[in-house]
Amino acid sequence: MSASPVLAEVLSRSDVWRGDSLARAALPGVPSGFAALDAELPGGGWPRGGLVELLPARQGIGELSLLMPALAQVSANELSWVVCVAPPLPPYAPAWAAAGVALSRLLVTRAVGGDAAWACARALDAEGVGALVAWLPESDAGTLRRLQLLAEKSRTLIFLFRPAAAARESSPAPLRIGVTAANDPGRLTLRLIKRRGGALESPLELDMARPAPSPHAVAGPPPSAAVARSLPATAVA
Amino acid sequence: MPGMRLADAWSLLPELAVQERDAERERRRLETLACWAGGFTSEVSLALPDALLLEVAGSLRLFGGLEALLARLLQGIAGQGHAACTALAPTPRAALWLAVAGEAGNAAVPRCLDVADLRDTLGTLPLEVLELDAAQMRRITGFGARNLGDLLRLPRSGLARRLGIGLTTSLAQALGEVPDLRERFRFPDTFRESLELPARVEDAARLLFAAQRLVQVLCGWLAARGSGIAACRLQLEHERGHATLLELVFAAPTRDPERIGRVLRERLERLSLIAPVAALVLLAGAPEPLPGREGGLFGETAAGEGVMLLVERLQARLGEASVHAVAARPEHRPERASTSVAPGLGSAAVFPGPRPCWLLPRPQPLSEVGGRPQRDGPLTLLAGPERIESGWWDAGEAEAVGDVRRDYFVALSSRHEWLWVYRCHEGWFLHGHFS
Repeated sequence: MSASPVLAEVLSRSDVWRGDSLARAALPGVPSGFAALDAELPGGGWPRGGLVELLPARQGIGELSLLMPALAQVSANELSWVVCVAPPLPPYAPAWAAAGVALSRLLVTRAVGGDAAWACARALDAEGVGALVAWLPESDAGTLRRLQLLAEKSRTLIFLFRPAAAARESSPAPLRIGVTAANDPGRLTLRLIKRRGGALESPLELDMARPAPSPHAVAGPPPSAAVARSLPATAVA
Repeated sequence: MPGMRLADAWSLLPELAVQERDAERERRRLETLACWAGGFTSEVSLALPDALLLEVAGSLRLFGGLEALLARLLQGIAGQGHAACTALAPTPRAALWLAVAGEAGNAAVPRCLDVADLRDTLGTLPLEVLELDAAQMRRITGFGARNLGDLLRLPRSGLARRLGIGLTTSLAQALGEVPDLRERFRFPDTFRESLELPARVEDAARLLFAAQRLVQVLCGWLAARGSGIAACRLQLEHERGHATLLELVFAAPTRDPERIGRVLRERLERLSLIAPVAALVLLAGAPEPLPGREGGLFGETAAGEGVMLLVERLQARLGEASVHAVAARPEHRPERASTSVAPGLGSAAVFPGPRPCWLLPRPQPLSEVGGRPQRDGPLTLLAGPERIESGWWDAGEAEAVGDVRRDYFVALSSRHEWLWVYRCHEGWFLHGHFS
């Protein structure tokens, strides 16, 4: 089937794509550090100039480890800043540094409610901000739409953490990913709820960098025995 | 109408409000304008009672040519709330005379750019620009002179004999024949400018416009001194001597009116006034040296500066403590290994074991069943122990972490959360999330 010239012109736009294929991104993406994920994202990585909504099932399953390779890439290789808006706790410097984020270009902003969205908007205006990571648990569709409009004008990577329950609501973010723990605790299951391109039927499973080998790979005596051995009686008493 | 008696004026216009001239206030206002003009040139001098002389030949390139400079200048004067008669000439006195003859706020600035043209240009001016006293004026009209041109054609020696050396010197100075030495305006060492508001203002956001006027003066003062400020204070004066003080702090020394204005706007928008404001005072001391504008090699702005502007804006609205960076410190106790520092000062350190992305501000006690810590069921310990035993020196001090003796483990919960837990003599505690 050959498309007419007008149709071909329309199809060559980056914001128009055929339903059975992945869209082309206007800007090349930032490699996520996970080849399996890059292959499924338009632009071959985390897209710039659009919101990326992450909906983790619980806090602490590894949702931040998913971003760390990209944040390290932005801050250490591109020498731009990483801005955290309204994180649940202050980032713990030793871990962020170990993940490769340059702490001299990390900015943390505490804000609540409308102030957090305002801070995000200001960060998108600023030059030299490479990535924005924001926790916006109670943002409404209007706020997200405004941020998406600002995002389209910038080259910043934008990750928004929202509760898993928000998956049921509609959102202007062009990429939405549900994050759950996989059966293998060393892995993470990603469900691409929305992306530019055909829907992805089956979830992705990614190997995460974990602080310890996952239990399936552990051999040797059970760890509880190690505990008993390690602590002298005086310390336990 | 000059020379009219007050009684005559009132009979013509009964609702006329009469204001007495206050020479002292006029002079202060002129000095304020001189500070503001520092943004255009450092060669400013006052021509009392009502004129300001700027030497702009050296500033033309910086402002992108004469027209651009004049446009900025006129716009700035209007922003300061004045309509000025402006003129341009190679000598200060010629410029003064041209300005006096001109109309206030006229778009086409009277100008004479060449010394050779001065005689012709000045020749068309009326005699009033000389501001002579009545007796001298009568004598000159007695000679048959009707304008400055007639006067310039008269022999200079005869003029000096009849009207005094003062007038002939002025004429020679205007034509550039003898030097016209003028005292340079001395920019004050500390900045303090006040602005009385025409009406009481009750809404803080509406103060911004008036405050911008003071900011423009401040930036002129800073430019003339070749310096910038990292902090300044805006005092909002209420009636009966009360005042509200706003401290404006910048991430780096600046003299950019837009940048100062942005911080000001964030502060004013979030301010609720305790009483209507009658006057504004802007105070600044301790200017720091700031080199002139540095254009980027390819016209770009440095990325760090863009982020520093962001920091300023965020801090102005959210408070200084809410915007920070984190730095790792070489310290064994986990609570002390990460601190908040000023943006841009974050630094890393190396640690022997895994560290969590989030550290709980207070360790959470975990229950223990059969020697294993519990959180939604038993935790699986995957790595460890990492013994941390340190801190005897601040044991017992308030707010200090104190002496710790802990064994840290990486643990996995039944819900696949990766946790950092420790065991000490008090039991098991959750201390962080790896996320």
